[in-house]
Amino acid sequence: MAVRASFENSNEVGVFSTLTNAYALVAIGASENFYSVFEAELADVIPICHTTIAGTRIIGRLTAGNRKGLLVPTSTTDQELQHLRNSIPDSVKIQRIEERLSALGNVICANDHVALVHPDLERETEEIIADVLGVEVFRQTIADNVLTGSYMSLSNQGGLVHPKTSIQDQDELSSLLQVPLVAGSVNRGSAVVGAGMVVNDWMAVTGLDTTATELSVVESVFKLGEGMAPGSINTTNKETMVESFY
Amino acid sequence: MRIETCHFCSQPCYPSKGITFVRNDAKLFRFCRSKCHKNFKMKRNPRKLAWTKAFRRAHGKEMTVDSTLQFAQRRNIPVRYNRDLVARTLEAMSRVSEIRAKREKQFYVNRMKGNRERGLEADRKLVAENQHLLPPEYRERVEEVLKEDVEVEGMEVEGMEVEVDAEEVELTVEEQQRLRAQQKVQAKKLGTKQKQKLVRGKGVESGGMELDD
Repeated sequence: MAVRASFENSNEVGVFSTLTNAYALVAIGASENFYSVFEAELADVIPICHTTIAGTRIIGRLTAGNRKGLLVPTSTTDQELQHLRNSIPDSVKIQRIEERLSALGNVICANDHVALVHPDLERETEEIIADVLGVEVFRQTIADNVLTGSYMSLSNQGGLVHPKTSIQDQDELSSLLQVPLVAGSVNRGSAVVGAGMVVNDWMAVTGLDTTATELSVVESVFKLGEGMAPGSINTTNKETMVESFY
Repeated sequence: MRIETCHFCSQPCYPSKGITFVRNDAKLFRFCRSKCHKNFKMKRNPRKLAWTKAFRRAHGKEMTVDSTLQFAQRRNIPVRYNRDLVARTLEAMSRVSEIRAKREKQFYVNRMKGNRERGLEADRKLVAENQHLLPPEYRERVEEVLKEDVEVEGMEVEGMEVEVDAEEVELTVEEQQRLRAQQKVQAKKLGTKQKQKLVRGKGVESGGMELDD
């Protein structure tokens, strides 16, 4: 399921939210409209946490996480860290990282198995990422951009990269990640796909300006179409399931 | 709101006090007052200025390795809220500060141990080395006093040897006490003599003398 939303008239929903398979973080805005979009899709499935990071609303760019963990920058206050710990399930590890590049959402792009990170990240940080998120870490660039988190949007099903990524780069990245990749844009041609949308294994939220074509690309690459949700396995995988169970 | 410590002097910086410097590699430096900020701008090393905590730690004037000091550290991995845990922590806080105060006191006592003896030794050495500065009519007397001094010292050494022997053959407690009393009296004598000498040797430079009582 892919939906369009905007945060206080901004298309960059990836800036104001983080979405993973185990939890969602949403910035505190003036109205609850943006939160309602997440609530409508995710209520009773995963916890949605209203939070700030270092007192700011750009939590999507400052944090990085997946099903197993959440990383927050050193500027996070003790109170925010405690609030996150209290609202996110215990199975998710939370850690504050002392890293010079404090916009972790821009420099880290991770799914539940692999993470692509900025080439200048410290070695210590790399180890923490591997430990907390439980992933293999690769230092990579996307279409010669070092900000992997901004120019790539990744789930366990697939990934969307900067529209100008060359075919060779796409092949290299998809062989690292072991998921299909597509070069595309969101929000009517915006290249910052990481900041323009958030995605997990069964839903995506994109900016309000996203065209129907872009949305259909998103749905197909992240396998979000009807019948792809975890609750409706019986359509595509029915035969294999029946075979293995009986 | 977290109360950070000053980058320079390690004093706590309360809100509305001091100034924060952010270097272009995003490292934060908090200063508790303009004094610290100015010293930082002059590129002074806090370890070389006696009024900072860094100096005191570097020169063994304060506890550095202690389990009670770890409670104030910044933690990067949070723990889920638990009412019992918080209650116990609050109880522990006062207890920890109590233990810490006690340990700091003991540390100070250990640090100051033997200052008096060292001071006396230094004075004695000074007078012995600088006799030529005294007016000639005093020199003979000083030599006499010094001779006495040497004798007394010799006695002291004998006394200590005696004590060691005594311990070896396990003398009675009473005798040991007597010996100790004797030594104390000797030490007192030494002290008084030292002062007299200083009075007599007014010509002697008193720069290097440290009388820590």
